[in-house]
Formats: sequence, structure tokens, C-alpha cells
Amino acid sequence: MGKLRIVHYINQFFAGIGGEEKADHKPEVREGALGPGLAIQAGFGGEAEIVATVICGDSYFGENMEEAKAAVLEMVKGYSPDLFIAGPAFNAGRYGVACGAITEAVQAELGIPALTGMYIENPGADMYKKSVYIISTKNSAVGMKDAVAAMVPLAKKLVSKEVIGAPEVEGYLPRGVRKNYFADKRGSERAVDMLLKKLKGEEFETEYPMPDFDRVPPNPAVKDLSKAKIALVTSGGIVPKGNPDHIESSSASKYGKYDIDGVYDLTVDTYATAHGGYDPVYANLDADRVLPVDVLRDMEKEGKIGELHRYFYTTVGNGTAVASSKKFAAEFSKELVADGVDAVILTST
Amino acid sequence: MDLENQKRVKDMAEKYGAENVVVLIGGAEAESAGLAAETVTAGDPTFAGPLAGVPLGLKVYHAVEPEFKEAVDAGVYDDQIGMMEMVLDVDAIVAEVSAMRNQHTKY
Repeated sequence: MGKLRIVHYINQFFAGIGGEEKADHKPEVREGALGPGLAIQAGFGGEAEIVATVICGDSYFGENMEEAKAAVLEMVKGYSPDLFIAGPAFNAGRYGVACGAITEAVQAELGIPALTGMYIENPGADMYKKSVYIISTKNSAVGMKDAVAAMVPLAKKLVSKEVIGAPEVEGYLPRGVRKNYFADKRGSERAVDMLLKKLKGEEFETEYPMPDFDRVPPNPAVKDLSKAKIALVTSGGIVPKGNPDHIESSSASKYGKYDIDGVYDLTVDTYATAHGGYDPVYANLDADRVLPVDVLRDMEKEGKIGELHRYFYTTVGNGTAVASSKKFAAEFSKELVADGVDAVILTST
Repeated sequence: MDLENQKRVKDMAEKYGAENVVVLIGGAEAESAGLAAETVTAGDPTFAGPLAGVPLGLKVYHAVEPEFKEAVDAGVYDDQIGMMEMVLDVDAIVAEVSAMRNQHTKY
């Protein structure tokens, strides 16, 4: 058998075309391996060749999903590969969604073995882990070597149609697939063993992990808005100009609390965004576009709301861990309650 | 190492010859210093930049490594780096950077 033919999908950043400013790059195909493809090809050690690399900007893919998917599929089809690999996307949200979507499409519509890789908290992971194999990676490209080391063996197995082992063995994100096997001990015995361990406070591993839906039941509606104290909270990174608390442009480790007493309008001279994950031009020109202080002041004046809370809370949602976000909110929610806030408007980007 | 700096290192290695270039790192953290050292020797480990798959094999040192310290005027070193030398985790930095150098430097 000759070398395996692989088509590889990457975004504009890993193709060296550019960052956020080039994220609208339309799908294109180049012969051979590029960027992370070099690492993947090396990982196969001569058993495979990346015959083509498909490149698409993350924003373009996200905003034109159907068209982009169709275009990328055509490109992949043209090379009739034995295997398709996307990413790895690490913790890049839109890239992760694109990798998941295109991997799923190649597998389902072209019938070609396909896989991708990303960080477990990447939004693409939850969306696609059931339909495709997603190798679990670190949250930044520093984890490239480990990601490739896990992707190559699984890719080989997919191509040769070998039995794929459990997620923790092969390194992919659990897909919710259950398989029968013969156990040494019967179920009742295993259950009692587990219970005994639990009672003793020892480590035990469930055989049936419950899915984590993280659903938040909505609060009852605000009865009378005209008497309610409303607070603004944002993950869009709006901060006083100069970002006094140095909130990070991605993977934020903190949030800010800022006084807007007497502030009726966020202007280009007074506020800006610290967010590094979207084009900041329009937010910097008028930060009310992300944090609508001006409109709420109008509503305050018109008596539609009781009052606007004197502080707003802000962080950068870009790549920020879910665990950090929960921690921030747990802290400032207490303050909001203590300050008598009745409702919060949470704005994103 | 950011993409601009990768390009600068690559261009300079081409212009002056890789054997004539020494990269001096000033990063304050062992991990990032190690990644920078890896980038200019074995190639960009993130495979995102111009040095992806380009093992330049350059000579690389960190400013707190003894090899560099001994090569420069002790007074100037004390003035410019002495303070940082006290607050940085010098052992960890030396371990990371020298590991990369010993493994991947060609010159």
C-alpha cells in the first residue's frame, strides 16, 4: 500500500495569512502541507502525505457556514483523500466550530475517515463531540506536539477500520457511546464496591457518568421595571480608557468594577474595549454599542426603569475558562444582591 | 514567540548565515523562554509561524545563563540584569533553555 493521502484543514492564522484582521479569508486550497500540517505529516513518519491544505478564515466560515462548508467539501473531494484532518483548534472558539462542522461534513457526506482536535472547553467540542472524533488538546498551541502524538494513532486506526478504544485510551473527547463488554465481577458487586469506597471517602469511578447540561432556570420576570434597579454586566471587555486594571485581552484572570455615577454616554475619549477576540474599532468609537449606558440612562429619565446601578462589572470573554467566569460571577453577584439590584442585563459581543 | 519576531530571526539567519547568529532571550518565565529557544532551534512548536518546520539550529542563550554572564562586563551586567537575576527563577530558566540548546543547536 502506498502512502495515505491526507487533506488538512486550517484557519487563516495557522496558514500564516494573518490574525483577526484576515479572519474573513475565503476558502482556498494549497498543494502540500502547511503550518501544523508539517507536524502531522512528520508524525506519520513517511506513512502518509498531506496532499493538500484547505484554508478558511474563521469569521468567513462562521458567517457563511453553508457556503463555506460546500466550498471546502468540493476542495476536499477533488483530492479524493484516504483521511481528513482538521485543526487542531485548541481553545479558539470559531476555529473549533469550523473544524467540528467540516469534519462532520467530510465524514457524513464524502464517507472519508475524519478527525479533529480541540480543548474540552472549546464551544466546538460540545457541538460536535458526539458526531466526530475530537482529540482532547491543551488550551493553546503550545500543546501541538501532544495533540499530533494523539491524532496520528487514532487517524491510522480510523483509516484501517480498526476497533477504536475508549476515550481515555485513545485520547478523544467522550462521545456518549456505550459498548458492551464482559466484566469479571457482576454489576451488584461492582455497585457495592463503589458505594463502600464512596462511604469511606475514597476515589471511585462511576460506570455511568451523568451528562453535564449546565442549564440555568430563568428567574421570575421583574414585576415592575419602573421601580427596578438594573445593573449592566458584560463579557465584551468595555473598560475605562487605558484599561486601569489590565484585564487581559484573552483568557481573562479577573474582572473590573467601575463607577458610572454621572456618566450618561460612553465616549471615544473615556471608554474602550480590552477584548482581543473581535474587531474593536466600533466598540472603541462608541462603547455604548457593547455596554448600553446611554440607552439605559434614557430609559431611566423616561421612567421605564427605576434606576441604573452605579457600578458595572466587566471582563473579557475571549478564551476565558468557564470555571473562571463562574468564579467572577459568584463573587460579584453577591455584591449586586447586597446593593439591591433587581435585574442584570448581560451583554456579550 | 510572536510571528513578527520569528520572521525577523529567520530573515537574519538567512542574511548573515545561521552559524553567525546568536539569539539572546530575555523572557522572565522559564516556560516561555524554553518555547522561544525551541522556536529558534528546532522550529516553532505551535506550527503557526514562519519557523514552523524550519529547524534553524541557532545558538541560543538566556541573559541569566552563566555562559552569557561570563562573556560580558561584570559591572554592566550588574547594572542592567543584576536586579532581574535576583527575582527570576534562574535555575528553571537555565534548565529549559540549555535543554533546548543541547538538543537542537547545530552550531
